[in-house]
Amino acid sequence: MGKWTRRAFIGAGVAAGGALVVGIAVRPGNPIDRLSPLVAKGKGEQLINAWVKIDADNIVTAIVPHVEMGQGIFTSLAQMLADELDADWSKVRILEAPADDKYVSHDIVREFAAPNLEVPAILEPTASGSFLSLATVMTLQITGGSFSIRGTGQRAMRTAGAAAREMLVAAAAKEWNVRAAELRTENSMVLHDKSSKSATFASFATAAAEQSLPAKPKLKSPKDYKLMGKPIARTDIPEKTDGSAIFGIDADLPGMKYAAVKAPPVVGAAVETMDATTAKTMPGVLQILNMGDFVAVVADGYWQAEQALATIDTTYSKTDGDGLDQDALFARYAKMLDEAGDSDGDVEAEEGDVGEAFANAATKVEAEYKVPFLAHATMEPMNCTAWVREGKCDVWSGTQMPLMARKAAAETSGIDYDNVTYHNAYLGGGFGRRAEMDMIIMATRIAKATQYPVKMIWSREEDTMQDHYRPSATSRFQGGLDKDGKAVSWSNIHTHLFDPQEAPTVPYYNIANHKIRKIDVPTHLRFGPWRSVDHSQHGFFIESFVDEMAQAAGKDGYAFRRELLAGSPRHLKVLDTAAKMSGWDKPLPEGHGRGIAFVPSFGTIIAEVAEVDMTGKKPKVKKIFVAADPGFAVNPDGFAAQMESSIAYGLTATLFGEISVKDGAVQQSNFHDYPILRINEMPDVAVEIINGDHKRLGGAGEPGLPPLAPAVTNAIFAATGKRVRELPLSKVDFA
Amino acid sequence: MITLNVNGQAKEVDVDPATPILWVVRENLKMTGTKFGCGVALCGACTVHLDGKPIRSCSTPVSEADGKSITTIEGLAAEDGTFSKVQQAWVDEQVAQCGYCQSGQIMTATALLKNNPNPSDEQIDTAMAGNICRCGTYVRIRKAIKVAAGAPSETQEA
Amino acid sequence: MKAVFRASALVLVITLAACGSDPAPEPTEQIVVREPGADASEASDTTAPEPAGEATASLVAAGKSAFNTCIACHVLEKGGANRIGPNLYGIIGQAAGSADGFKYSDAMASSGITWTKEELDSYLANPAAKVPGTTMMAGAISDAGQREAIIAYIEDASAN
Repeated sequence: MGKWTRRAFIGAGVAAGGALVVGIAVRPGNPIDRLSPLVAKGKGEQLINAWVKIDADNIVTAIVPHVEMGQGIFTSLAQMLADELDADWSKVRILEAPADDKYVSHDIVREFAAPNLEVPAILEPTASGSFLSLATVMTLQITGGSFSIRGTGQRAMRTAGAAAREMLVAAAAKEWNVRAAELRTENSMVLHDKSSKSATFASFATAAAEQSLPAKPKLKSPKDYKLMGKPIARTDIPEKTDGSAIFGIDADLPGMKYAAVKAPPVVGAAVETMDATTAKTMPGVLQILNMGDFVAVVADGYWQAEQALATIDTTYSKTDGDGLDQDALFARYAKMLDEAGDSDGDVEAEEGDVGEAFANAATKVEAEYKVPFLAHATMEPMNCTAWVREGKCDVWSGTQMPLMARKAAAETSGIDYDNVTYHNAYLGGGFGRRAEMDMIIMATRIAKATQYPVKMIWSREEDTMQDHYRPSATSRFQGGLDKDGKAVSWSNIHTHLFDPQEAPTVPYYNIANHKIRKIDVPTHLRFGPWRSVDHSQHGFFIESFVDEMAQAAGKDGYAFRRELLAGSPRHLKVLDTAAKMSGWDKPLPEGHGRGIAFVPSFGTIIAEVAEVDMTGKKPKVKKIFVAADPGFAVNPDGFAAQMESSIAYGLTATLFGEISVKDGAVQQSNFHDYPILRINEMPDVAVEIINGDHKRLGGAGEPGLPPLAPAVTNAIFAATGKRVRELPLSKVDFA
Repeated sequence: MITLNVNGQAKEVDVDPATPILWVVRENLKMTGTKFGCGVALCGACTVHLDGKPIRSCSTPVSEADGKSITTIEGLAAEDGTFSKVQQAWVDEQVAQCGYCQSGQIMTATALLKNNPNPSDEQIDTAMAGNICRCGTYVRIRKAIKVAAGAPSETQEA
Repeated sequence: MKAVFRASALVLVITLAACGSDPAPEPTEQIVVREPGADASEASDTTAPEPAGEATASLVAAGKSAFNTCIACHVLEKGGANRIGPNLYGIIGQAAGSADGFKYSDAMASSGITWTKEELDSYLANPAAKVPGTTMMAGAISDAGQREAIIAYIEDASAN
């Protein structure tokens, strides 16, 4: 299978190793006997516990149960493990855990008697309101919800590294006949200072594996961190710089053919007729398939498949969504919000009596906000390669949920789960899109029909039109201020709730009376998690309305938020830092404005200040200042990169992101009508990280996004007096 | 048969002359560093050099390359694997995130610096505006190009 | 690639659609044109009809949208900087190779073309055929309607 297995498809790579497995007696509790065949097949490799193996050359391999989609998680998780292990970073390698039930992180955590790090309540499996609870993430091998570091990293990787270190030390103590307490570890060596003895980890690896698993391995305190907190270079960057990194779309198998696909423009419709008269005469074409819910052409080359597909005439069945336009959808939202009145809908949070507080308020503020559907638009279009043959199924892709992909392939192919292998590659962008299984199922179905390996690639048009979208939504607010301009009531009702459940709530703001409700409005489009999920719209709704309340109170947006956060020093510090970074009080040139927004999400507290130039025809976002408290940034450079990235992603949505529906179909198709921020539109970004609590880590991949849109629109208000209540800005006439 | 020169090596391919260079490079020559992003020259992920000039390989038929030399991302590093100064700057500035668009970014940046060894911020933005990065690595791309421009020059492309 | 298309190579397999509302796991129709490894067939008619362009209210508006395929390389504004390709402001009626400061290929500079709408249309349909040696490699637009719209937009934008 060539470079596919040799390079990034780590799971497949080790499985293909074929070297002798050293049989060893294992103490109860350590699962390495069942895991070694999966991850330590190489000669001389010794698995110490589920997450660590050490080879004869003293190379330490950290086994990470998450996927790399640009967030740098391989490096950061390995940093956490290697630090606790006292490993020599130059000799650390990283292996993506295979898509195997034996390798779900939740079970592996159970190796250890008790998790010994304080984990924020939101991460506890029982916690209500978290989008992907720790249990879910760990059981299903999901990468999402900005959970990898604060969940797996804090709980599993560090614990495993510390446990492996103690096991190595115990083995060395036994061999040298000294007390374990006299030994120390450094740079992948065990040292006994008294006798000046030292030896590599590798020399004790086999003996270490026979030690019992420490129930409560001792973790380092921050003053002893050597790797955590350092801006360590990402291990995946060199191969992403010379073209050798392997993504899902780069799968290559002997005899592999290529499929182009087209699904009905209206989601849910069936392909009724298919006229392939021309297509079947075209060069390279092998098969033309009406799969019922989509059409596929299989050919010798992808371009040939695409050319042939374009000639196929199809008719589709009627659906309830057929006549639907975007305006009608928003009208439907409005009607249902009207009908919900003051009391209907599901209450998501309630405190005090908003009805009375609002009635008695000295100043009343009301506003309605709208956001459109958004597509993910990963640079790598959806794709999957599958090979279904006699009793076996192999699937290659880049997914955020490898275990789910394997299950989906098994169910789709009808082949026994144990005979299905899922191979994961780098993801050319995920952002939630690759948490869906549609591409896995489609490719498996095609390959089942052909019985030879097929690589299915979606065109950019399919990728744009067949997404699982961030919902379009409407949100209405009523806010009350007392005679001193203090917020006394906050009531909100909005359409849709996807996740996380806390997204519409504002528990961090001191508003005595609040009530937040949602209503579900049916639409035919598929919803999916989109970077920062519901925080992406509620960040805009909430922080726009806070700004409107500030204005009504005659207060500056920063000062007003300071009042709302009074008594929460950690929150205030973030807000103050962003304001200070931006020179909040310093005057700006005519036509320029500053806006501030504050959104804690995914465990990380973030304030952003945007500086916008409104002197031209279109808003020009000049600078974004980010103050962020993720508890502790394991890799500060990687964290800053995620802030920059979230800003670019959020700014695309703010400036021009819009998926709209006409006659039930998505109108946008490629980057000309679903534009993505380009380099000339990218603002300067300054990031300041506050390490506010090293025991309560927050996420990095998503929390930078929610404050961006409102910071920009609040800045536009400051510059022009024009309040933006609907995104994207391309719909607004600023002339 | 079409004769191509790819990264200094002669290659013969038996394909429809209308096939875009992208698919010939990826599927026939098995060089997958060049990426498919949009298919219509909007995103730049497929950028390669044709006789030293950056082109969108997804929209350029292979017949256009007959007798010309194609350079792909795989052809930028020296024989011994030493990165070109642009590639090295990309590593030093930790540019890549998901990495999917970066081959195209690097090819465009390499061409820019060849024509303009010391580009201004505006010239960088102009030259790079055809390459989309969904991870938003633009701040670092700008910096890496500056770093590469200031780095001691070395041969980086045939 | 000389094999003649043989009708006998075509196997048509039609299976009945599975019942129920779930996506059909099996194809409802499977046309096997050829097995892998068999001689590649080539049809005499290889030109694929283009998908019909979207009906648009205004040609210029459609052209503005279609021009997005061009913006990676071209600007269209008075005094705008040349990019990978020349600024296209006011190109209609001009002699080929006359945008200020742009380094044209010899082929383009010596083509002798004056860019009437008709000339532009035939160039955009197949740049390399119209001006062999042109450096514009990525601009071919096979859809005539799209070309018409783009040219209308260039004309309109240049009038402002």
